[in-house]
Amino acid sequence: MSNNQDDREGRLKKKILDRFDDETSQEIKILKSRPDFRPELEYFVDLLAGGRDPATISARTGRPVVALMCLQAPLELFHVYGLQPFKIFGGTMVAQRLSAPQLPAIMCPMLRSALGELHLDLAGSKGQKFLAWVTPTTCDWVVKIQDMMEVCGITEKPPFHRLELPHLKDRTESQDRWLEEVYLLRGFLSQITGKKKIRRQDLARSMNIYQKSWHVFSNLIDLKRTGRVPEIWFMVISNSFFFDDAEKWTESVKKALPVFNKREKALPDIFLAGSPIFFPNLKMLHLLEEAGLNVVMDDLCSSERIFPGAVYFDDFSEHGLLKALAQRYHQGCLCPTFSDNDRRINNIIAPAHKDLYKGVVFHVLKGCHPFDLESLTLECRLKDMGLKFIKLETDYTSEDSQTLLTRLEAYRNTLAN
Amino acid sequence: MGYKIGLDLGSTAIKMVLVKNNEITWSRKVPTAPGQEALAMELVKGAVNECGLSEVDIDHIAATGYGKKLMSSAGHTVDEISANAQGLHWLSEGRCRTIINIGGQDLKVINLNEKGLIADFKMNDKCAAGTGRFFEQAARILDTPLEKFGEMSKLADEPLELNSTCVVFAESEIVSLLAKGVPKERIIKGLHHSVARRITHLLGSRNTPKGGDIYLDGGPSQNPGLLEALEDELLMEVKVLPNPQFTVAFGATLSAN
Ligand code: SF4
Repeated sequence: MSNNQDDREGRLKKKILDRFDDETSQEIKILKSRPDFRPELEYFVDLLAGGRDPATISARTGRPVVALMCLQAPLELFHVYGLQPFKIFGGTMVAQRLSAPQLPAIMCPMLRSALGELHLDLAGSKGQKFLAWVTPTTCDWVVKIQDMMEVCGITEKPPFHRLELPHLKDRTESQDRWLEEVYLLRGFLSQITGKKKIRRQDLARSMNIYQKSWHVFSNLIDLKRTGRVPEIWFMVISNSFFFDDAEKWTESVKKALPVFNKREKALPDIFLAGSPIFFPNLKMLHLLEEAGLNVVMDDLCSSERIFPGAVYFDDFSEHGLLKALAQRYHQGCLCPTFSDNDRRINNIIAPAHKDLYKGVVFHVLKGCHPFDLESLTLECRLKDMGLKFIKLETDYTSEDSQTLLTRLEAYRNTLAN
Repeated sequence: MGYKIGLDLGSTAIKMVLVKNNEITWSRKVPTAPGQEALAMELVKGAVNECGLSEVDIDHIAATGYGKKLMSSAGHTVDEISANAQGLHWLSEGRCRTIINIGGQDLKVINLNEKGLIADFKMNDKCAAGTGRFFEQAARILDTPLEKFGEMSKLADEPLELNSTCVVFAESEIVSLLAKGVPKERIIKGLHHSVARRITHLLGSRNTPKGGDIYLDGGPSQNPGLLEALEDELLMEVKVLPNPQFTVAFGATLSAN
C-alpha cells in the first residue's frame, strides 16, 4: 500500500474512532440521565462505557481474553482454564463504515459493525490481542467470519478454533457429535494455556459460578415478567455480562434487583423476539418505549438467552460434567439456526396461552436470514391464534426511526382490539 | 363552537380538514417545508377566516403524520395508521376492510375488522418504490405532469414490462426506454402496473381481504390509471372516496373522540 493510501486510511480510522466514541458516550449519557437510572445500575453502564478491548477486559478480570463469535461454546470451560470468554459484538453504527466497502451490501449489520470495530484496531489498540478466537458454526455469516476478517484486512491472526455445531438437536448422533466438539474445545483451550489437565473439582466450581450467575439472572427475568424491569436496563445488564468476572457481575445484579422490585407494573406487555440488540445501538428499545410498549419477555441471544439455563448433573466425573455442559448448551439453545427447532417457536407461543403477553414484536436485522425466515412460521402460528404480530426489519442506521415508530404506535393501538 | 381541526403533517404535504359533526366542511393542503408548525397554523388561520369563524369556535386540534410531534398546539396526536383506519371506516360507512394508502414516502396496507379496528397492517421499507415520491420522479423524467398520467395510460393498449420499481433503477430504465423511442403512454401504463404489482405483493395472499371493500387513498389514488392497474392486478374492485388525500387528517379528528 502506498504512503498516500496509508495516510487516507489512517485519517478515516481516526475520524471513525472519534465518531465511535461519540456514539458510545451519547448513549451512555442518555442512559445515565434517564429518570429511572439508579446508582446500582452504574456498574453495568460503566462496564459498557469502559471499552471492549482485550487489554481493558483482561486488566479487569485478571484473565487472558478469548474472543467468542457466539454463545454456543460452554463458558464454564474457558473459566476453568483461567480464561475470560468475550462475546464479540458490534453495536456501533459508525464502525460499519470501515468494513462495509469490502463486504456484501446485504449482510448481518451486527457482524459488519463488529468487523469495523476490529478493523479500528480496538482489539489491539492497547497492545494486547485476544489470546484466541473461538467460532461455533451457527449462522452463515458467523461460519464465514474468518474469511471476512481477512477481506477486511484485519491482520490479527491469533489461534482460531471452530466448533462445529450439529444443526439437529433431537438426534442422538448429533448430541454425541457435539460432545466430541466440546472435547475438542477442551483440547484447544489446553493447548493455548499450556494446562495439560483440569481438576474436576475446578470444573465443578466454574460450573457453580455460572450457575449462580444464571440463578440471579433468572430472578431478574422473573421481575421483568411483572413489567418492572425496563428492557433497556435488562439489555444493559445482559450486554455487560462478558465485560467482567462472572462473580462480580452476579453480585452487582443481586444489588440491582431491589431497584426494580420497587417499581410498578407497566402495560401493555409484549414479547420481543428476533435478532440480537447490542449496546450502543439501543434504537429499537428506545422506540418501543416511545411507543409506550413494555417488553416483559424476550428471546434475544443478547438478552434473556445469554445463559442456556440450569445445568443438571449426577455424574461427578470429568466426563459426566462435560457431558452435562454439552447437553445444556446444545439442548437449551434456542437459536434459529437449528433445523428441528419447534421448541423455540413453542417457547414464544406457550406464554401467550397463559396471557403473559399481548403480542410479539419481531426484530429482524437486514441480512439476518435465520431470524427472518423463522418470522414467517411464527407469524402464521400467532395469527392463527388471534395474537398480534409485527415484524420490524431494520439496519444499523437511524434514518428509519420515524417509520418504525409509526408502526409501533399503530401496533400498540391494535393490542387493545 | 363545535369545530375540530385535523392536521396530517406528511413527508410531502400538510393536509388540513375543518370538521363539524364528523363532516368535513373545509380542506386544504400545502407542500411540506421547513417550519411545519407555522405552515400548519397558516392553514388553520385560513380556514377560520374563510369560514367566518373565530378561534374560540375551534374545540380541538388533532395532529397526525410524521411531523405530528412538531405541533405544540395540538390537543392530541395519533399515528397515521390508526387515523387512516378511523377515517376510512367512518367515511366508507363501515364497508372498508382494506386500505391501500400511498403516501409521499411510504406505502401502507391496513386491514380492518368489522368494527373498523385495525386487524393488521403492513408498510414498505425505507425504499420509495411505489410511493408518491416515485411518481413525482417518474413525472420529472418523462417531462409529463402527474395529473396527465391517468388519461395517458388509458391511450396505451399494452403496459410495458418495467423491471424496476426502485426509484434509482426505474429512472435509468425510463431514460433508456425513451431513448429507444417507446411511447410515453406505454411507459406510464407500465409504471402503474409495476406499482400495482408491488402493492399486491405487500398485500400478500394471506392478507387478501375476505368480505368488505378495498379502498385506495393518499395523493396518488386520484390517478385513474393506477386505480385501473391495481384492479387488474388484484382482480378486485378498488374504491376511491372523494378527496382521498384528506382521509388521514379527518381520521385524526375522530380519534379525539
Ligand atoms: S444469527 Fe443473525 S444476528 Fe446473529 S450473527 Fe447470524 S445473521 Fe447476525
